[in-house]
Amino acid sequence: MAQTPSPDVSPPVDEKRVSFEREALVHLDVLYRVALRLTSNPSDADDLVQETMLKAYRAWDQYEKGTNAKAWLLTILRHAFINEYRRKIRHPESVDLDAIEPYAVFSEVQDEDPQGAFFDRIVDDEVLRAIDQLPEAFRETLVLSDVEGMSYQEIAGILQVPVGTVKSRLFRARQLLQAKLYDYAVEMGYIKGSPA
Amino acid sequence: MNCRECVEHLYEFLDRELTPELERELREHLEDCPPCGEQFDFEELFLKFLRARCRAQGAPAELKRRVLRELFGE
Repeated sequence: MAQTPSPDVSPPVDEKRVSFEREALVHLDVLYRVALRLTSNPSDADDLVQETMLKAYRAWDQYEKGTNAKAWLLTILRHAFINEYRRKIRHPESVDLDAIEPYAVFSEVQDEDPQGAFFDRIVDDEVLRAIDQLPEAFRETLVLSDVEGMSYQEIAGILQVPVGTVKSRLFRARQLLQAKLYDYAVEMGYIKGSPA
Repeated sequence: MNCRECVEHLYEFLDRELTPELERELREHLEDCPPCGEQFDFEELFLKFLRARCRAQGAPAELKRRVLRELFGE
């Protein structure tokens, strides 16, 4: 009796899917956090991440496997944000970044609270709210560096600006954020001080 | 390195983005200058605080499901 070939029980391995799951989908949390700070809105952040993942999956063959998937995905996310969301959800900002004076909170608190203990009393939501008030160019730089721990070089690549620009934006973004948090801490009575 | 230059490069130092040469100069300055040392501690604490306050948030489970559904029809 002729033997029928045994059916192949294991499904074909979808290599594209496997590598995408391994290298791209693992960064979903990062993409969501950055999207949320860019859009300031959970529903828009969802859409932006979804859009980014679709674009990334379509372009997956162009991504050189094993390089920096996180930076590659964030570049796609930022382009999608600029092209499709920024115009829709935020009025173009007309902030003169150079006019924002650097302000050192440390010099205000060094006598009363040089250890910065007042920071500990500020809750997550208040910090996120203060970040959302930063000018967009400062906000995106600060989030990529201070929340996601990316290097100046990586950030420069994603934002398509020179490393020196990343450095100066980060410096001013941090000082501005400190000043906002300090003002809040004074207002709440966490520290005596005088409003910045 | 003087105090002004030290404060100017403090964040780059904390971010490990200084050249080895500048990093050495800054370290030497911090050892000899208690006020700059205090500011270093303050800025270091601020960056740790920031990271701790912002990292808790992850993508909602529903978004993960939505992405998988859209990509792979699941």
